[in-house]
Amino acid sequence: MLIVKDLSVERIDKKIFENINLSLTPGNITILKGKNGSGKTTLLKAILNLIEPSFGSIFWKGKLLKRNFYDFYNHTTYIADTTSSLRKLTIKDNVNIWKKFFISNINDAQIETALKTLKLDNYLNKKVATLSFGEIKKLEFLRLIIENKKVWILDEPLSNLDEDSIELMKQTFEDHSSKEGSIIFSSHQNPGIYVTEEIEL
Amino acid sequence: MNFLNKIIFFYYREYKLNMSGAQDILTNIIFFFISIFIFIFSIGPDKQTISIIGVGILWTLLLLSSTLSLRKFYQDDFENGNLIIMHLNGFSFGFIAILKTFSHFIFVQIPFLLSIPIACILLNVANDKLFYLFTSFGIGSLILSCFGSISSSMNLMNQRNFLLGSVIVMIFSVPIIIFSVGIINTEESFNSLINILFGILLIVFAINPWASGLCLKLSLENN
Amino acid sequence: MKFLVNPSKFNEMADYIFKPVLILSIILFAIGLLFSFYLSPDDYQQGSTVRIMYVHVPSAWLALLTYAIMTLYSIMALAFRIPFGFIFNTAVAPIGAVFTLICIISGSLWGKPMWGTWWVWDARLTSVAILFVIYLIIIFMNLSFENRIVREKVVAIFILVGSVNLPIVKFSVDWWNTLHQPATISKLSKPSIDPSMMTPLIIMTFAFIMIGIAIAILRIKTEIISRKSYLS
Repeated sequence: MLIVKDLSVERIDKKIFENINLSLTPGNITILKGKNGSGKTTLLKAILNLIEPSFGSIFWKGKLLKRNFYDFYNHTTYIADTTSSLRKLTIKDNVNIWKKFFISNINDAQIETALKTLKLDNYLNKKVATLSFGEIKKLEFLRLIIENKKVWILDEPLSNLDEDSIELMKQTFEDHSSKEGSIIFSSHQNPGIYVTEEIEL
Repeated sequence: MNFLNKIIFFYYREYKLNMSGAQDILTNIIFFFISIFIFIFSIGPDKQTISIIGVGILWTLLLLSSTLSLRKFYQDDFENGNLIIMHLNGFSFGFIAILKTFSHFIFVQIPFLLSIPIACILLNVANDKLFYLFTSFGIGSLILSCFGSISSSMNLMNQRNFLLGSVIVMIFSVPIIIFSVGIINTEESFNSLINILFGILLIVFAINPWASGLCLKLSLENN
Repeated sequence: MKFLVNPSKFNEMADYIFKPVLILSIILFAIGLLFSFYLSPDDYQQGSTVRIMYVHVPSAWLALLTYAIMTLYSIMALAFRIPFGFIFNTAVAPIGAVFTLICIISGSLWGKPMWGTWWVWDARLTSVAILFVIYLIIIFMNLSFENRIVREKVVAIFILVGSVNLPIVKFSVDWWNTLHQPATISKLSKPSIDPSMMTPLIIMTFAFIMIGIAIAILRIKTEIISRKSYLS
């Protein structure tokens, strides 16, 4: 569905990366590996059409992504390395806002089980600002379930997570890929997640 | 229909966000009233003088206190990545700018609009001028919101010198102040001045999505 | 005309014309100052102070002209992706600021004997003061952004939005009836200024343009060199 062809991005005076080729088909899990500052976030942003590549092109469903990006966005969940939950509000409010804002077709029971597996169900009325960083990060993954989209683009999803949560992410990824979804995620190392494609930056 | 729902829930989100930080808005208004007190202390409590320059003071302080909250216009959403999420949810950057401008107008400027009558009592402004004050501030504050959107989106990447954003808003608001105070002081030319103010509003309205959208995109690209 | 948009062509052209422009500006200044101090008559109303005009009016024109050219370059840079526009904006903004400052100072020196005060809050003076502040904001913006790409584009957008002030400055004297005298020289009607004063004014204007171009060439060349590694 998504094909990246000979992608290069240059900033003012230096090349960030060049000649990246990758394709995303249903059931596909791609990992971007690289050191800090090797351009993982930049590549993800280029795939999201937020950065204009210097060379190369990206295709979505056979059309240039530039012409077709709203359709791409309709099928995509993006989780950045920053957490987008609103600090001043409670978890419940955040979930409600996400549910309405993304016009989600997920019912409350499903969200409750998701909260339970993430071990956040006891803090429903707590403000996000009082949670620990790992918990805020886990809350962010609730968006994957609420948005319920085919393509997941995740920036450093495994940093700051404990082993149980990483195990949980592993299962979630496999579950999603078995449901014909596709995932790109960046990480500086792979803690044993089954991937179909590996790209070194 | 989906799109309309998204817009409604964008405002629901803004409402929740602003209500959880309602003390910020109230602090703005307290700043406004305290500045009125200080103005009166510094020029003396002479009723005649105050009623002459009252409207001018009111407009100046409204401008200053509404530029106070500019810092939060885009900064929070920019830093925690919500701007990207809104964009991925189907809003173009220009449209986000329009929505945010109205949000700023509703949650920051309307409280000022509501506190104008009390300020008018304090500053001895004649009752029959209240209507002119309301119309001019209603239009003028929308223009100020647009300028606020433009200048704060320009300064997203400017970590060193944020005061520049307020200076930009103030430099652009000079003609608005001239025409708005003119409306109140010369009531016979009310129609022509309000037309000019409307004209400025339309021009700024046309510029705002373009300029803010471009700056937002630029800042997100290079962040 | 490629040297107006291409840095390397500009460099070639600049090496070629810099010395003639500088010499020409010196000659013009000599002639112009000679004319304006000794060979032009006193005004029957304003006496000898009218000679301030020969500095005041050219600098006012050039302040506006510089901003107008910067606006054109901003449009070119943003719409047609010509990076030379950004170079031009960064280099030329301080020159415009200095012209505006000369205009304001000479104007208030002229205003003291004529109007009896250094400063009046009339439309033209205020709008020129705003123009000066806009120039200052452009300079400060150039100094305070970390990221160069963001900085130059944001400055270009600011210049475009700020260009709303230009027509206000130009026509403020005609729109509001104020203390400042209306423009005496325009293309459409016969100028209401005496030819004996017209000659030094025109010579001085050209002298100002030439010295402006000379300084601009130096500044643009410095700017090009300072980002040489990016342009290639």
